Amino acid sequence: MNSKTAGFFQEYEVFSKRTAASPMQYQFSLLAPNEEMALILAQENFMRREPVADIWVMKQSAIKKMTPDERQSLPRLDNKDYRNTKGYGYLKKKWRKYEQEMLDEKEIFSWGGESKK
Amino acid sequence: MIRLETDEEKHINFMERIYAGEKIEADDWMPDEYRNVLIKLISMHGISEIMGALPEKEWVPKAPTLKRKLGIMAKVQDEMGHGQLLLRVTEDLIKPLGKTREDIMEDLFNGKLKFHNVFHMEAPTWGDAGLIGWLIDGAAIITQTNMLNASYGPYARALKRICAEEVFHAQHGEAIILALAEGTDEQKRMVQQAVERWWEPLLMFFGPGDAKAVGTSKQDITAKYRIRSKSNEELRQDFFTKYVPRILSIGLTIPDPSMHYDQEQEKWIYQQPDWEKFKEIVRNKGPKSQERLRLRKLSYENNEWVREALARPNDAR
Repeated sequence: MNSKTAGFFQEYEVFSKRTAASPMQYQFSLLAPNEEMALILAQENFMRREPVADIWVMKQSAIKKMTPDERQSLPRLDNKDYRNTKGYGYLKKKWRKYEQEMLDEKEIFSWGGESKK
Repeated sequence: MIRLETDEEKHINFMERIYAGEKIEADDWMPDEYRNVLIKLISMHGISEIMGALPEKEWVPKAPTLKRKLGIMAKVQDEMGHGQLLLRVTEDLIKPLGKTREDIMEDLFNGKLKFHNVFHMEAPTWGDAGLIGWLIDGAAIITQTNMLNASYGPYARALKRICAEEVFHAQHGEAIILALAEGTDEQKRMVQQAVERWWEPLLMFFGPGDAKAVGTSKQDITAKYRIRSKSNEELRQDFFTKYVPRILSIGLTIPDPSMHYDQEQEKWIYQQPDWEKFKEIVRNKGPKSQERLRLRKLSYENNEWVREALARPNDAR
């Protein structure tokens, strides 16, 4: 490696969102000499066509990643029914006895609409 | 009690993960053979994107209309962007070996890192510029979509971005070729001559059918590690199936009288390119190899001042 340029480039991770309302999403990484250049290169490299509302860049060294071993601890045992609606599905049958519909996820999320004045 | 896995156990786990369709990431354990074949493949792909922008950029100042100029400029920018993406993927693979982008560039200049045979060739007319977009990018789409499900996650993700843009490149090329093919006799001749110039390089683009032709082939290793699924010959046949009817339909002639589809064997019969010539070309002995390498070197040297200016942002404050 050329000693003059050693340490010149840093690795940056790039995040962006498509619209003001969407969540930030990881895109890719790039090499840049500083944050300002990283932002410009992120736009040039990854946002030439797709809609974009905001871009973040972050030095890779600032991110704490899980090691492959740590990732092994992520899969869950399939014994958490009590945390999910799945564990309460039997209520549907019970409500039917009282001639009532069950207020399930689909029904509850449908309540967020505009007021019907 | 913790017992460390032996390399053999790691290898078995690794192969099980790949065959289960899991993706390998940069910081995962991987066999040296896997790392090395990925480095070779992706650095060659990345550098070829950059070297491929050079014959095309020659046509930016000479494009016949403003619209065509904007189109080809966008394409050149995309190719450089693809190069950046792929070099990043390579850098993460060579990091544990203590290497960086500088080493990739060094290997390009000293001939250790090769670039695609097609980018060693001349592009003397606007017909060549169109043909590169239509057929070279068409061929590239065929080889690259074959690796969209590659076991190496970072490469598969880069290819998804790249292939989406290649679709635009192919259509940009088609637009140029169809305009010429529907034009004057001179324009038609221009496209026909471009087809004649590029036919052999196009056949070479997919690589030899087996190691016999050039001495070595990485096909078996890339297939074993689920990096690609089809062989060179299968990809070349796919290319014929998709493009030969299109080439003929617009009144062009393929410069190979033996070329035909054999119904019984269910494959295209064609004249093999000169694989000895192929070996020479990729050893940087093609018609434009040295000139393009020099261009790459010059642009690196001429832009040195930009890097220097950026390296000391605090001095100016």
